[in-house]
Amino acid sequence: MEERELDLAGRLMADMDPRLLEFLQAKITSFVKWDLINFFHDNPHTTDTADNISRYAGRNVETIRTELAELARDGVLEETQLGGMTVYSLASDRRIRELLEQFVEASDDRQFRVKAIYHIIRGTR
Amino acid sequence: MERVKTGIPGLDEMLGGGLLSQTANLVEGAPGTGKTTLGMQFIYHGIVACGEPGLILTFEEFPQQYYRDAASFGWDFRQMEREGKLRVVMSSPEVTKADLEQVGGRIERLVREIGAKRILVDSLSHFERISEEPVRLRGIVYGFVNSLKREGLTAVLTRENLALLGEAEGTDDAIAFLVDAYVLLRYVEIESAMRKALLVLKMRGSNHDKGIRQFGITSRGIEVRAPFEGREGIMSGSPRRMVDSFVQAFVRR
Repeated sequence: MEERELDLAGRLMADMDPRLLEFLQAKITSFVKWDLINFFHDNPHTTDTADNISRYAGRNVETIRTELAELARDGVLEETQLGGMTVYSLASDRRIRELLEQFVEASDDRQFRVKAIYHIIRGTR
Repeated sequence: MERVKTGIPGLDEMLGGGLLSQTANLVEGAPGTGKTTLGMQFIYHGIVACGEPGLILTFEEFPQQYYRDAASFGWDFRQMEREGKLRVVMSSPEVTKADLEQVGGRIERLVREIGAKRILVDSLSHFERISEEPVRLRGIVYGFVNSLKREGLTAVLTRENLALLGEAEGTDDAIAFLVDAYVLLRYVEIESAMRKALLVLKMRGSNHDKGIRQFGITSRGIEVRAPFEGREGIMSGSPRRMVDSFVQAFVRR
Protein backbone atom coordinates (compact mmCIF):
# COMPACT_ATOMS: atom_id res chain seq x y z
CA MET A 1 0.00 0.00 0.00
CA GLU A 2 2.75 2.39 1.12
CA GLU A 3 4.79 1.53 -1.96
CA ARG A 4 1.83 2.14 -4.27
CA GLU A 5 1.28 5.59 -2.70
CA LEU A 6 4.92 6.53 -3.11
CA ASP A 7 4.74 5.43 -6.70
CA LEU A 8 1.62 7.57 -7.30
CA ALA A 9 3.28 10.56 -5.63
CA GLY A 10 6.37 10.06 -7.74
CA ARG A 11 4.31 9.95 -10.93
CA LEU A 12 2.30 13.02 -9.90
CA MET A 13 5.41 15.05 -9.26
CA ALA A 14 7.41 13.73 -12.21
CA ASP A 15 6.38 16.41 -14.67
CA MET A 16 6.65 19.28 -12.20
CA ASP A 17 9.33 21.94 -12.65
CA PRO A 18 12.14 20.61 -10.38
CA ARG A 19 12.71 24.03 -8.82
CA LEU A 20 9.02 24.37 -7.96
CA LEU A 21 8.94 20.81 -6.68
CA GLU A 22 11.87 21.50 -4.40
CA PHE A 23 10.24 24.74 -3.20
CA LEU A 24 7.01 22.90 -2.51
CA GLN A 25 8.66 20.01 -0.70
CA ALA A 26 11.02 22.12 1.34
CA LYS A 27 8.99 25.21 2.19
CA ILE A 28 5.27 24.60 1.80
CA THR A 29 4.56 21.83 4.22
CA SER A 30 1.09 22.93 5.31
CA PHE A 31 -2.00 24.65 3.96
CA VAL A 32 -1.48 27.55 6.37
CA LYS A 33 1.97 28.11 4.85
CA TRP A 34 0.35 28.08 1.41
CA ASP A 35 -2.09 30.75 2.64
CA LEU A 36 0.79 32.80 4.01
CA ILE A 37 2.74 32.45 0.77
CA ASN A 38 -0.30 33.78 -1.11
CA PHE A 39 -0.74 36.56 1.43
CA PHE A 40 2.85 37.79 1.10
CA HIS A 41 2.73 37.41 -2.67
CA ASP A 42 -0.32 39.73 -2.75
CA ASN A 43 1.12 42.04 -0.09
CA PRO A 44 4.85 42.06 -0.82
CA HIS A 45 5.48 45.25 1.16
CA THR A 46 3.73 44.13 4.34
CA THR A 47 5.71 44.04 7.55
CA ASP A 48 3.68 43.01 10.54
CA THR A 49 3.33 40.99 13.72
CA ALA A 50 1.95 37.45 13.91
CA ASP A 51 -1.13 38.86 15.69
CA ASN A 52 -1.95 41.24 12.85
CA ILE A 53 -1.09 38.77 10.09
CA SER A 54 -3.40 36.23 11.72
CA ARG A 55 -6.20 38.81 11.55
CA TYR A 56 -5.49 39.54 7.89
CA ALA A 57 -5.39 35.82 7.11
CA GLY A 58 -8.41 35.00 9.29
CA ARG A 59 -6.49 32.24 11.08
CA ASN A 60 -5.69 31.32 14.65
CA VAL A 61 -2.75 33.36 15.91
CA GLU A 62 -0.89 30.47 17.57
CA THR A 63 -0.94 28.44 14.35
CA ILE A 64 0.15 31.45 12.34
CA ARG A 65 2.98 32.22 14.76
CA THR A 66 4.51 28.76 14.34
CA GLU A 67 4.16 28.76 10.56
CA LEU A 68 5.59 32.26 10.21
CA ALA A 69 8.60 31.26 12.31
CA GLU A 70 9.15 28.19 10.12
CA LEU A 71 8.88 30.20 6.90
CA ALA A 72 11.41 32.65 8.35
CA ARG A 73 13.70 29.76 9.29
CA ASP A 74 13.40 28.46 5.72
CA GLY A 75 14.34 31.83 4.24
CA VAL A 76 10.95 32.65 2.66
CA LEU A 77 10.26 35.41 5.18
CA GLU A 78 12.46 37.68 7.22
CA GLU A 79 11.93 37.88 10.95
CA THR A 80 13.09 41.09 12.63
CA GLN A 81 12.71 42.89 15.94
CA LEU A 82 11.04 46.27 15.64
CA GLY A 83 10.24 48.43 18.65
CA GLY A 84 10.02 45.36 20.89
CA MET A 85 7.81 43.47 18.41
CA THR A 86 8.70 40.45 16.28
CA VAL A 87 7.65 41.30 12.74
CA TYR A 88 7.65 39.35 9.49
CA SER A 89 8.13 40.47 5.93
CA LEU A 90 8.84 38.80 2.63
CA ALA A 91 12.49 37.87 2.15
CA SER A 92 14.34 40.34 -0.03
CA ASP A 93 16.27 37.47 -1.73
CA ARG A 94 15.46 37.80 -5.45
CA ARG A 95 15.63 34.02 -6.01
CA ILE A 96 13.06 33.35 -3.31
CA ARG A 97 10.77 36.05 -4.68
CA GLU A 98 10.99 34.60 -8.18
CA LEU A 99 10.19 31.11 -6.90
CA LEU A 100 7.25 32.44 -4.94
CA GLU A 101 5.98 34.27 -8.00
CA GLN A 102 6.30 31.10 -10.10
CA PHE A 103 4.59 29.01 -7.44
CA VAL A 104 1.61 31.36 -7.17
CA GLU A 105 1.33 31.54 -10.95
CA ALA A 106 1.51 27.76 -11.26
CA SER A 107 -1.19 27.46 -8.57
CA ASP A 108 -3.66 28.98 -11.00
CA ASP A 109 -3.50 25.67 -12.85
CA ARG A 110 -5.87 23.07 -11.43
CA GLN A 111 -3.54 20.13 -12.20
CA PHE A 112 -0.71 21.81 -10.33
CA ARG A 113 -2.97 22.56 -7.37
CA VAL A 114 -4.11 18.96 -7.15
CA LYS A 115 -0.50 17.78 -7.10
CA ALA A 116 0.48 20.36 -4.51
CA ILE A 117 -2.48 19.46 -2.30
CA TYR A 118 -1.60 15.79 -2.55
CA HIS A 119 1.96 16.55 -1.58
CA ILE A 120 0.90 18.55 1.49
CA ILE A 121 -1.59 15.92 2.63
CA ARG A 122 1.07 13.25 2.35
CA GLY A 123 3.51 15.41 4.27
CA THR A 124 1.11 16.07 7.13
CA ARG A 125 0.30 12.37 7.75
CA MET B 1 4.59 78.61 -2.14
CA GLU B 2 4.81 75.27 -3.91
CA ARG B 3 1.40 73.73 -4.55
CA VAL B 4 0.67 70.04 -4.89
CA LYS B 5 -2.36 69.61 -7.11
CA THR B 6 -4.89 66.97 -6.16
CA GLY B 7 -6.17 66.80 -9.73
CA ILE B 8 -9.73 66.94 -8.43
CA PRO B 9 -11.71 69.44 -10.50
CA GLY B 10 -12.95 72.18 -8.21
CA LEU B 11 -10.97 71.14 -5.15
CA ASP B 12 -7.67 72.64 -6.22
CA GLU B 13 -9.44 75.97 -6.79
CA MET B 14 -10.95 75.75 -3.30
CA LEU B 15 -7.46 75.11 -1.91
CA GLY B 16 -6.01 78.16 -3.63
CA GLY B 17 -4.19 76.07 -6.24
CA GLY B 18 -3.62 72.82 -4.38
CA LEU B 19 -2.27 71.46 -1.12
CA LEU B 20 0.92 72.92 0.24
CA SER B 21 4.00 70.80 -0.35
CA GLN B 22 5.16 68.50 2.48
CA THR B 23 2.06 69.00 4.57
CA ALA B 24 -0.38 66.63 6.27
CA ASN B 25 -3.95 67.01 5.11
CA LEU B 26 -6.91 65.39 6.81
CA VAL B 27 -9.95 64.23 4.84
CA GLU B 28 -12.78 63.25 7.15
CA GLY B 29 -16.15 61.79 6.33
CA ALA B 30 -18.74 59.11 6.97
CA PRO B 31 -18.46 55.69 5.30
CA GLY B 32 -18.99 55.94 1.55
CA THR B 33 -18.53 59.69 1.27
CA GLY B 34 -15.43 59.25 -0.92
CA LYS B 35 -12.43 59.75 1.39
CA THR B 36 -10.43 56.90 -0.12
CA THR B 37 -11.44 57.87 -3.67
CA LEU B 38 -10.22 61.41 -3.02
CA GLY B 39 -6.94 60.04 -1.70
CA MET B 40 -6.48 57.64 -4.61
CA GLN B 41 -7.19 60.43 -7.09
CA PHE B 42 -4.52 62.55 -5.37
CA ILE B 43 -2.03 59.69 -5.76
CA TYR B 44 -3.07 58.92 -9.37
CA HIS B 45 -2.84 62.56 -10.44
CA GLY B 46 0.61 62.85 -8.88
CA ILE B 47 1.88 59.86 -10.86
CA VAL B 48 0.34 60.57 -14.28
CA ALA B 49 0.25 64.36 -14.38
CA CYS B 50 3.06 65.52 -12.10
CA GLY B 51 5.64 62.72 -12.32
CA GLU B 52 5.42 62.26 -8.56
CA PRO B 53 5.42 58.62 -7.39
CA GLY B 54 3.20 57.76 -4.46
CA LEU B 55 2.63 55.43 -1.57
CA ILE B 56 -0.64 54.12 -0.22
CA LEU B 57 -0.42 53.01 3.38
CA THR B 58 -3.46 50.99 4.34
CA PHE B 59 -4.37 49.78 7.80
CA GLU B 60 -7.46 47.84 6.81
CA GLU B 61 -8.11 47.17 3.14
CA PHE B 62 -6.01 44.75 1.14
CA PRO B 63 -4.04 46.19 -1.80
CA GLN B 64 -6.32 44.26 -4.19
CA GLN B 65 -9.22 46.40 -3.00
CA TYR B 66 -7.36 49.53 -4.09
CA TYR B 67 -6.47 47.96 -7.45
CA ARG B 68 -10.13 47.11 -8.02
CA ASP B 69 -11.49 50.45 -6.84
CA ALA B 70 -8.91 52.36 -8.88
CA ALA B 71 -9.65 50.25 -11.97
CA SER B 72 -13.31 51.31 -11.78
CA PHE B 73 -12.10 54.85 -12.54
CA GLY B 74 -9.72 53.66 -15.24
CA TRP B 75 -6.64 54.03 -13.04
CA ASP B 76 -4.28 51.08 -13.47
CA PHE B 77 -2.60 50.92 -10.07
CA ARG B 78 -1.17 47.43 -10.75
CA GLN B 79 0.70 48.74 -13.77
CA MET B 80 1.92 51.73 -11.78
CA GLU B 81 3.29 49.34 -9.16
CA ARG B 82 5.04 47.34 -11.87
CA GLU B 83 6.56 50.56 -13.21
CA GLY B 84 7.84 51.45 -9.73
CA LYS B 85 5.69 54.56 -9.47
CA LEU B 86 3.40 53.30 -6.72
CA ARG B 87 3.58 51.07 -3.67
CA VAL B 88 0.53 49.89 -1.79
CA VAL B 89 1.61 48.86 1.70
CA MET B 90 -0.67 47.10 4.13
CA SER B 91 0.45 47.25 7.73
CA SER B 92 -0.74 48.11 11.21
CA PRO B 93 -0.40 51.48 12.96
CA GLU B 94 1.84 50.11 15.73
CA VAL B 95 4.31 48.53 13.29
CA THR B 96 4.24 51.58 11.00
CA LYS B 97 4.94 53.87 13.94
CA ALA B 98 7.89 51.74 15.08
CA ASP B 99 9.15 51.42 11.49
CA LEU B 100 9.12 55.17 10.89
CA GLU B 101 10.85 55.83 14.20
CA GLN B 102 13.92 53.80 13.25
CA VAL B 103 16.56 54.98 10.82
CA GLY B 104 16.40 53.22 7.46
CA GLY B 105 13.06 51.53 8.12
CA ARG B 106 11.04 49.76 5.45
CA ILE B 107 8.81 52.75 4.60
CA GLU B 108 11.82 55.06 4.43
CA ARG B 109 13.46 52.60 2.01
CA LEU B 110 10.33 52.39 -0.12
CA VAL B 111 10.07 56.20 -0.29
CA ARG B 112 13.68 56.42 -1.48
CA GLU B 113 13.38 53.42 -3.80
CA ILE B 114 10.56 54.93 -5.88
CA GLY B 115 11.21 58.60 -5.07
CA ALA B 116 7.76 58.99 -3.53
CA LYS B 117 6.45 62.51 -3.09
CA ARG B 118 2.87 61.74 -2.08
CA ILE B 119 1.27 59.42 0.43
CA LEU B 120 -2.27 58.35 1.21
CA VAL B 121 -2.76 57.04 4.75
CA ASP B 122 -6.04 55.15 4.98
CA SER B 123 -7.02 55.64 7.72
CA LEU B 124 -5.76 57.61 10.67
CA SER B 125 -8.68 56.31 12.75
CA HIS B 126 -6.78 53.04 13.22
CA PHE B 127 -4.22 54.80 15.42
CA GLU B 128 -6.91 54.67 18.10
CA ARG B 129 -5.96 50.99 18.38
CA ILE B 130 -2.64 52.02 19.92
CA SER B 131 -4.16 54.31 22.51
CA GLU B 132 -7.60 55.55 23.40
CA GLU B 133 -6.08 58.12 25.73
CA PRO B 134 -6.42 61.45 23.85
CA VAL B 135 -3.14 63.05 24.99
CA ARG B 136 -1.09 59.95 24.14
CA LEU B 137 -2.94 59.50 20.85
CA ARG B 138 -2.22 63.10 19.92
CA GLY B 139 1.47 62.55 20.67
CA ILE B 140 1.54 59.40 18.53
CA VAL B 141 -0.20 61.05 15.57
CA TYR B 142 2.04 64.13 15.93
CA GLY B 143 5.14 61.91 15.68
CA PHE B 144 3.66 60.03 12.73
CA VAL B 145 2.73 63.19 10.81
CA ASN B 146 6.19 64.65 11.41
CA SER B 147 7.88 61.49 10.18
CA LEU B 148 5.96 61.77 6.88
CA LYS B 149 7.05 65.39 6.52
CA ARG B 150 10.63 64.38 7.33
CA GLU B 151 10.50 62.05 4.32
CA GLY B 152 9.43 65.00 2.16
CA LEU B 153 5.95 63.61 1.57
CA THR B 154 2.73 65.49 1.01
CA ALA B 155 0.13 63.43 2.81
CA VAL B 156 -3.59 62.88 2.56
CA LEU B 157 -4.78 61.25 5.75
CA THR B 158 -8.31 59.90 5.89
CA ARG B 159 -10.35 59.70 9.07
CA GLU B 160 -13.70 58.06 9.62
CA ASN B 161 -16.62 59.97 11.00
CA LEU B 162 -19.37 57.64 12.10
CA ALA B 163 -22.16 60.19 11.91
CA LEU B 164 -23.96 59.84 8.59
CA LEU B 165 -25.67 63.19 9.06
CA GLY B 166 -24.93 66.07 11.40
CA GLU B 167 -22.19 66.30 14.01
CA ALA B 168 -20.40 63.18 15.18
CA GLU B 169 -20.47 62.65 18.91
CA GLY B 170 -17.12 62.46 20.63
CA THR B 171 -15.06 63.57 17.61
CA ASP B 172 -11.50 64.05 18.79
CA ASP B 173 -10.58 67.44 17.46
CA ALA B 174 -7.07 67.27 18.88
CA ILE B 175 -6.00 65.58 15.64
CA ALA B 176 -7.46 68.47 13.63
CA PHE B 177 -4.94 70.79 15.30
CA LEU B 178 -2.02 68.66 14.11
CA VAL B 179 -2.81 68.75 10.42
CA ASP B 180 -2.21 71.54 7.93
CA ALA B 181 -5.50 71.25 6.07
CA TYR B 182 -8.82 69.76 7.09
CA VAL B 183 -11.39 68.76 4.48
CA LEU B 184 -14.83 67.55 5.55
CA LEU B 185 -17.03 65.34 3.40
CA ARG B 186 -20.66 65.13 4.41
CA TYR B 187 -23.93 63.58 3.38
CA VAL B 188 -26.73 66.10 3.00
CA GLU B 189 -30.39 65.21 2.74
CA ILE B 190 -32.26 67.41 0.29
CA GLU B 191 -35.78 66.66 -0.83
CA SER B 192 -35.59 62.98 0.09
CA ALA B 193 -32.29 62.43 -1.72
CA MET B 194 -28.75 62.12 -0.41
CA ARG B 195 -26.22 64.52 -1.81
CA LYS B 196 -22.66 65.09 -0.80
CA ALA B 197 -21.05 68.26 0.51
CA LEU B 198 -17.38 69.22 0.77
CA LEU B 199 -15.95 71.91 2.99
CA VAL B 200 -12.35 73.04 3.46
CA LEU B 201 -12.51 73.73 7.15
CA LYS B 202 -8.89 74.75 7.63
CA MET B 203 -5.80 75.40 5.57
CA ARG B 204 -2.73 76.51 7.45
CA GLY B 205 -0.62 79.16 5.72
CA SER B 206 -2.99 79.77 2.83
CA ASN B 207 -6.29 81.34 1.97
CA HIS B 208 -9.00 78.97 0.84
CA ASP B 209 -12.60 78.86 -0.32
CA LYS B 210 -14.89 78.84 2.75
CA GLY B 211 -17.93 77.77 0.76
CA ILE B 212 -19.75 74.47 1.12
CA ARG B 213 -19.68 72.80 -2.28
CA GLN B 214 -21.61 69.92 -3.76
CA PHE B 215 -19.53 67.07 -5.08
CA GLY B 216 -20.10 63.81 -6.86
CA ILE B 217 -18.21 60.63 -7.64
CA THR B 218 -18.22 60.10 -11.38
CA SER B 219 -16.60 57.50 -13.63
CA ARG B 220 -13.51 59.73 -13.65
CA GLY B 221 -13.33 60.22 -9.90
CA ILE B 222 -14.45 63.06 -7.68
CA GLU B 223 -15.76 66.30 -9.12
CA VAL B 224 -16.41 69.28 -6.90
CA ARG B 225 -19.31 71.36 -8.15
CA ALA B 226 -21.14 74.57 -7.36
CA PRO B 227 -21.99 75.67 -3.83
CA PHE B 228 -25.38 74.77 -2.41
CA GLU B 229 -27.53 77.75 -3.20
CA GLY B 230 -30.53 79.04 -1.31
CA ARG B 231 -29.95 76.58 1.55
CA GLU B 232 -28.66 76.94 5.06
CA GLY B 233 -27.66 74.45 7.75
CA ILE B 234 -25.89 72.26 5.16
CA MET B 235 -23.44 70.77 7.67
CA SER B 236 -26.30 69.72 9.94
CA GLY B 237 -27.09 67.20 7.23
CA SER B 238 -30.69 68.43 6.92
CA PRO B 239 -30.54 71.88 5.36
CA ARG B 240 -33.50 74.19 5.04
CA ARG B 241 -34.36 76.42 2.15
CA MET B 242 -33.42 79.97 3.09
CA VAL B 243 -36.77 81.18 1.88
CA ASP B 244 -38.47 78.90 4.43
CA SER B 245 -36.30 80.29 7.20
CA PHE B 246 -37.17 83.80 6.07
CA VAL B 247 -40.88 83.03 6.09
CA GLN B 248 -40.60 81.40 9.50
CA ALA B 249 -38.70 84.37 10.92
CA PHE B 250 -40.55 87.29 9.44
CA VAL B 251 -43.79 86.36 7.74
CA ARG B 252 -45.51 83.87 10.05
CA ARG B 253 -45.25 86.03 13.13
